[in-house]
Amino acid sequence: MERDLKSILTKLEFSDDAKVIQQITEQTRQVRSRMGLIRRKLVVLSGKGGVGKSMVTVNLALAFARQGLRVGILDVDLNGPCVPKMLGMKGQRFEFTTEGALPPIGPLGIRVASMEFFLKPDSPVRWKGPMDLSPVWLGMMELSVIREFLADIVWGELDLLLADLPPGAAADKPPAIVGFLPELDGAVVVTTPSEVCTDVVKKSIVYARDMGIHVVGLIENMSGFLCPECKAESDLFEGDQNVQQLCKELDIPLLGRIPLDRRISQACDRGIPLSEAMESTPRRFEEIAKNIGQQVRMK
Amino acid sequence: MKFVCMKCETFMLFQKVEKPGEESLGVMFECPQCGSRFSMVTNPGETALVSALGVKIGGRTTAPEPFELTRGTLKETAMEPSTQTADSTSTSGGGSCPFSSVLSSMQSGAGIKVKWSEEALERMERIPDFVRPMVKGGIEAYAAKKGYQVITPAVVEESKAMMGGDTGELPWTPAAQQRLENIPAFIRPLARQEIERIARERGLASITDAVMDEMKDKFGQFMSGQYMGF
Repeated sequence: MERDLKSILTKLEFSDDAKVIQQITEQTRQVRSRMGLIRRKLVVLSGKGGVGKSMVTVNLALAFARQGLRVGILDVDLNGPCVPKMLGMKGQRFEFTTEGALPPIGPLGIRVASMEFFLKPDSPVRWKGPMDLSPVWLGMMELSVIREFLADIVWGELDLLLADLPPGAAADKPPAIVGFLPELDGAVVVTTPSEVCTDVVKKSIVYARDMGIHVVGLIENMSGFLCPECKAESDLFEGDQNVQQLCKELDIPLLGRIPLDRRISQACDRGIPLSEAMESTPRRFEEIAKNIGQQVRMK
Repeated sequence: MKFVCMKCETFMLFQKVEKPGEESLGVMFECPQCGSRFSMVTNPGETALVSALGVKIGGRTTAPEPFELTRGTLKETAMEPSTQTADSTSTSGGGSCPFSSVLSSMQSGAGIKVKWSEEALERMERIPDFVRPMVKGGIEAYAAKKGYQVITPAVVEESKAMMGGDTGELPWTPAAQQRLENIPAFIRPLARQEIERIARERGLASITDAVMDEMKDKFGQFMSGQYMGF
């Protein structure tokens, strides 16, 4: 008579005869090997879309690079990559070598990796495979693509890698990133002052903490409107204390406030970074970068 | 994933993976004790899921290329055809063809007309009929890319060096060399060139038995087993 499966399994030893575990282990080792050359690794996230994560990531990278640090940006928003445009790098491509893919180099020597570098102009990401069955495999595919971005790019030695995550309060990307990067230094969370936004962002912070991600602090984007004529700043949203309250409630530092500045959005659209010497908003990013640097002991 | 032979109370062992149809994989297992065999056949969604892992069931003989999965699975990319990777699970793009670099070159030069000198055409006559169109297409694509209007013997030599990645011969182990000798003479130089090109692309220092095993699979698929002499 056949025994039950549970008792059979107790006496069997697992063997990786299809060599799948071996390859996954090797993939992980390759990620660790690449990431081992990078001193600090931060993710920029938000539970909400459209809050300005990519703009914040790009301008933080510029601010750190102005401090003389070697900086890389990983644009993890596979389906809506916009970092290359903001840095004037659209149309650039990876260079493939036997060592891996060399990332294009942008302003101030910032190394950038983005799905955009694989795509034809105006083309969305389209995968081979049965799209009617995409719920079965697409999530796994995207995670493997992120793994390739971490493992196959020749980042070289960097002081800081900033990963711009796609929106999502409790999606699959943050845990996957943490899985790939157990030595992740933390998350910078972006929000706007609106209550709708802070409610969702709060969930993403709780979720990040559940996964053991250290939340470095919160950046309030669109904190007000900066008049291009008189330079006065006025409120855009009701409840200008929402973010402060959230920081207090969750015991998170407020890293800084960024107003809605027409010149910074123009600079992002044109792919020409503003000079920090001339403009007030880049100076705010300088301050935020200093705050982050203190939190994660950047220097 | 493991399978248990309930009769022998042991794990079944992986044997091989096949592609019984479009968007389907057949993974074969055997019980090491009673010899019972069975195949797990995947549906299109499961096939895509297995591909999405970025592993080759049964193991690899060579290291993966950078962004192998991403480049092999994107429907279209902005990369030059010559930088596309071969993907053994891909159902399009000729990824399993051992002469993919030549075919890619042909595609990149499609529609571009260049003239042949008499001497260069004479040289083409020395090439076996069945590979001549492919070789000519590759040279024409190379000439078009370089901006040559007429293909002369010098251009033929130049393209030959470029297509073969002529950066010095790679060492062959005696066993691999012996297997190369088993390939019919008329196609051996082309096979040698292609094997060395792929090995160089992957950063290998020599041609070994393991490389030949992989090439056998590639050549076998391309030629439907006709000339699998090695």
